[in-house]
Formats: sequence, structure tokens, C-alpha cells
Amino acid sequence: MHESVYPIENGNTIKFETLKFYISNIQLFQNDVDVYSEPNSFHLIDVSDTSSQNIFLNPPHRINFNKIKFNLGIDSITNVSGVMGGDLDPTKGMYWTWQSGYVNFKMEGTSTACMPPKNDFEFHLGGYQYPFNSLQKIELKTSSKTNLKIILELNKFFTAIDLTTQKYIMSPCVDAVIFSKQLANCFSVK
Amino acid sequence: MRKYAIFFYCFILFAFVIKESYFSVPENFPKPVYDFSNNPLTENKILLGRTLFYEPMLSKSNTISCESCHSQFSAFTHIDHALSHGIHDSIGKRNSPALMNLAWQKSFMWDGAVNNLDMQALAPISHPAEMGSSINEVIAKLNASVKYRKLFYNAFGDSAVTGEKTLKSISQFMLTLVSANSKYDQIMRKEMSFTEQEERGYLLFKKNCSSCHTEPLFTNGNFENNGLQMDSLLMDIGRVKVTKQSDDSLKFKVPSLRNIEYSYPYMHDGRFKKLSDVLNHYTKGIHQSKTLAPQLKNNIVLTSNEKVDIINFLLTLSDKEFVFNPQFQYPK
Repeated sequence: MHESVYPIENGNTIKFETLKFYISNIQLFQNDVDVYSEPNSFHLIDVSDTSSQNIFLNPPHRINFNKIKFNLGIDSITNVSGVMGGDLDPTKGMYWTWQSGYVNFKMEGTSTACMPPKNDFEFHLGGYQYPFNSLQKIELKTSSKTNLKIILELNKFFTAIDLTTQKYIMSPCVDAVIFSKQLANCFSVK
Repeated sequence: MRKYAIFFYCFILFAFVIKESYFSVPENFPKPVYDFSNNPLTENKILLGRTLFYEPMLSKSNTISCESCHSQFSAFTHIDHALSHGIHDSIGKRNSPALMNLAWQKSFMWDGAVNNLDMQALAPISHPAEMGSSINEVIAKLNASVKYRKLFYNAFGDSAVTGEKTLKSISQFMLTLVSANSKYDQIMRKEMSFTEQEERGYLLFKKNCSSCHTEPLFTNGNFENNGLQMDSLLMDIGRVKVTKQSDDSLKFKVPSLRNIEYSYPYMHDGRFKKLSDVLNHYTKGIHQSKTLAPQLKNNIVLTSNEKVDIINFLLTLSDKEFVFNPQFQYPK
């Protein structure tokens, strides 16, 4: 990831330093009936760590499903319930230290669309309290595959936002909510 | 038969004493806010947390521990300094709060930026003007320490140090910091009585102060603008920085008044050195602004004798046993 340069709008390019986000509360549905909810469902997906990109679900028996639901980010109850381990451990770099709350989506890098000299951008998207609740509920239609591929297409996101005007978001705010919604639209089932 | 009965009795008594020594809800206190079921107290975890509380390795330069700004003799605050200072003598923006009865606290920091006791230590560890480190750096140091690996093993049955275990242990020690044996508490338990002057002060306190400094914790846990004019150098706008809601402008958390004798100076920026300065502020120093607490819209009226009475009452909130409790001291 660190070496690759990707083209974006208007002939600009982008490079990523960090790309990490939480997927939580995974549920499978058959005709709107909940057939499986993963227990303790919190996953930190780190694009620089391929092993984190595979999630193994273990339903107790064979199930049919035609929809998957999950959250992009960490729910508000978990946000106020004290320290947790595993992927939620604050050492994972996804917890704000000066103001409690998880960073749901962290994206850092450089782009020719950003102002010199550093040409950097930094999006730490999170916030669990009204009116800056940035958790996104995602629903995707699918078929009962044993190997489900979910794609995050960031080119859609970089088309929707303007890196020349907004390149830093570091706290819960209106823009963090808007950006989170745009990211939620970038998920699809392959 | 008789032998069995005696044995059983002793066993119950023993179990009771051990449990009592960790944490118990004082009889005049409400139910704690902290969820102990997520982090049940044990002797070894409390000891680990207590050792960490006094550990300078928590700071980048290995010079500042929690205790540096939260010393027991001052009810776990930093006296003689209006604003707390951290590594390389950097000065912070706020007066370090006294630490006590944290199990009953709904939020932490003057502006409530921290939502759970477990997460509180992350802020000073990371703040450049306090410990200037990071939780990952702290964990690397602890993992490299034979002493700590042993303490973590004793506490968790596993010597590997993690963020979760570290922060839970620090919480465990802080939860044991219960102050509930002041003269006031003994009076409420009918073991003592007020002097005439203290009694007068108590009645004046209930009339003028207790809507925010509510008994028995002596805080309602809310955020209020108490009429302090903003310091033009610090420009501290308070809770609005956290919530971004204009209604919260210039609001700070109502602090407990327990052990106030020991925990000077007063206010979020430590601007008042004496209790008389504080009372004078409430009678003639209120700065009017949009978000001022409604109770302070009209100046509180107190004669100078009445102020002395209130101060006398406030001194009954001093808990000597708390500030000298050997269980809270540096573990030897």
C-alpha cells in the first residue's frame, strides 16, 4: 500500500500512509430474518496487514442468507464502556486520548491535490455523541456464499470530497459525519 | 458439631474483612457509576495499579508519575501550583483535580472530555505538557521490565502487558480512593455533632451552595459556568470545546468540595488560593455572561461572619484518614 500511487480526479494522484477502519456488529439475514449475529463482533481492518482483511464467521450450522449488515465504526455503548482488549485495545492507535472515543476510520497520506510543502491529508473520522454520531450502518444484498468478498472503492470517496479544500479532520464534527456517510456508500459485494 | 460451627463463623468473618478492604459503598453514598462487573477488583490488580500510579516510566523522560500532580497529602492534587506542570517543566492549561470517590464520577477532566475512568490515564500519558509519551511507548517499557512482568503475571495470570490490562489496573487503584470518613460523614452517621458555628455554616451552605455542590458527594457531576471571567492568556472556553454546543461555553465540571482544605488552589485554572477568595467571588465577583448558572444571576449575599461560618463547615469535609491511608501510599 505504501509504495502505490493511485490516480484521482483532475489528474491528481494519491498515496496512503495509513488506512484502518472498524467493522462491527456483523449480521446475516434471510428475507429480513436475522439468521446469524457474530458475537463480540469488532474487527479492525488495516489495509497494510492482509491478515486483518479476512473475517471468519462461525455459524453453528449451515445457513442461507441474502443480506449482510454491519457497522462501519464502533457503537456508542461500546464507546462509553471503558477499556477493552483485542482489536479495541487503545494501543491499536484508533482511540482518541484527549477526548474519549474511537476513531472509526483513519486515513492518512499525501496527494498532489493537497497544499505543499507536505501535501498531506489526515482524516480521523469518529464521534459517538449527538449531533456528531458518525457510525454508519451498512446493508448489502448478497447470496449464500461461503466466501463473501466485500469491496471498499475509495475512488468514489475521493470523487465526492475535495482534497484541495478539506484535508484535515481530527475530531468529531459535521464534516466527520458527512465523510463517514460518503465512505459508507463505497462498500459493495463483489 | 460445635467445632464446625465455630470454624464456619470465622470463615465468613474473614471473607467479609477482605472484601471490605477493597471497596465498599459508604452508607450515606449512592450507587456507584463505575461498572465493576467489567473490571472486578482483586488485591493483585489493585497493587499493580498502585505501582503504576507511582511509576515515572509512564512519562517520556521517566521523570513524571501520576503522583507528581496527584499527591496523597493534598487529596491527590498538586498544591501550590495554579496550573499543573509536566515533563521538562512544561506548564499545562488547567489545575489538576483532586482524586477521590471516582467510582461515582460520570465523566472526567474539567470539561468532561473523558467518558470512563478506564480511559482517563490515556490523556495525561499522551499530553505533551504532562507525560509526553504514548500508551504504546509505556507498554513497551513495561514489557521490558522484569518487575512489571511479574506484577502483571500476579494480577492477570499472564505476564504480557497490554493497554487493556494496564488501564484496568490503574482504574482499580483509583477506585479504592474513597473518602467518606470526614467529620461531616461521622456527623451524618450520628457518631459526632457539629459545633454551633459549623451548624450555622451547614445551613448557609445548604441554602446557597448545595444545588451544585450536592451532598453527599458535594458535586452534582454537571457542568456549570460559575461566573469566572475568562483568563485572557489561557483563553479556556471549557466544555464547549468537547461538545461544540454554544450552550456549553465557559462551563466546567462542578468539583467535589470534599477535602477542600487540602486541595488548594481552587477553580479550573487555580486562580484562588484561599477559601475566602472563593466565597468573595460568589458574593461580589460574578462575571455575567449568557451561559452563567441561573443560581448565580443575582449575587449571593453573605456577611463576613457568615462566610467564616461556611468555611468552618467546609473544614468538616476534611478526611484525615484518607490523606494518610497507608494503602494509598507508594507500595514498598
